[in-house]
Amino acid sequence: MDTDEKPLNEQASLALINRMINSAQQGVSDNGFYFLLWGWLVFAAAMGNWTLIHVFPTELNWLPWAILMPLGGIVSGIYGWKVERKKKVKTYADEVMDYVAAAFLIALFSVLFVFSWKLGWATTYPFIMIIYGIWLFVSGGVLKFRPLIYGGLINFACAIGSLWIHSYHMILVLAFAVLAGYIIPGHLLKAKYNREKHNAAV
Amino acid sequence: MLPFKDLDPILHSQLRLAVISLLISVREAEFTFLKEKTGATAGNLSVQIGKLKDAGYIDVEKKFRDNYPLTICRITPKGTKAFHEYVKAIQQYINSSNK
Repeated sequence: MDTDEKPLNEQASLALINRMINSAQQGVSDNGFYFLLWGWLVFAAAMGNWTLIHVFPTELNWLPWAILMPLGGIVSGIYGWKVERKKKVKTYADEVMDYVAAAFLIALFSVLFVFSWKLGWATTYPFIMIIYGIWLFVSGGVLKFRPLIYGGLINFACAIGSLWIHSYHMILVLAFAVLAGYIIPGHLLKAKYNREKHNAAV
Repeated sequence: MLPFKDLDPILHSQLRLAVISLLISVREAEFTFLKEKTGATAGNLSVQIGKLKDAGYIDVEKKFRDNYPLTICRITPKGTKAFHEYVKAIQQYINSSNK
């Protein structure tokens, strides 16, 4: 686009508008970082917690949560500071996702560190899965990515179903919910992002 | 043919229309993003951004990141309204031309 005053006819104006709007939407898709980070951390914490309850019993069985969740918060914060702030463009979807992520973290930490202390661990798992379900469902809708929406629905189903499951198995339901809701869709989202990036470069 | 509605001269220019079309789809964009997407030269783009700003169609925020200057542009409500009116006027003109 060499000159600003180049005359435009009406058809060319509409074509230019369409081209620019489509172009603005390219390259702003999500790389799945947060889904993979939180998916793997929660999966590891849940399995670690289960192992320390049933395989190597210890009173410190909550330790994987106490270590991995704040670690996730710190890594998310650093990633947000280092990578997200360097984005050349911020879409309306990005803005919505920022608020959803903030609400998710506040709710998650409230459940992990206040609800669990006040109500006991076993009662908190369904709350955790409901919170995950909301984040996944909203994110899937905003990003127009169905695997995340299905992941959200699986988390809702697991949250409700776990109410009828003995607390002994509840943590395994959580691990499954995270695998189906975060880890698998997270990898699919990352693959989609890499594909789009590759196509844009070709 | 319907009476032709005068097109907004601020928007009826290739580069300014491209900038506004990019900004209408996003919350905010850096100067380098606009330069990359429009393929314009930095000098020309600066001049056109200045004209859009003077018309009140966009907000321009200048700041520093890691000691480098950073220009961030956002469309204003006035710019959004002007863009919609421009598109409507073009569509009316095209529709009446096709009759």
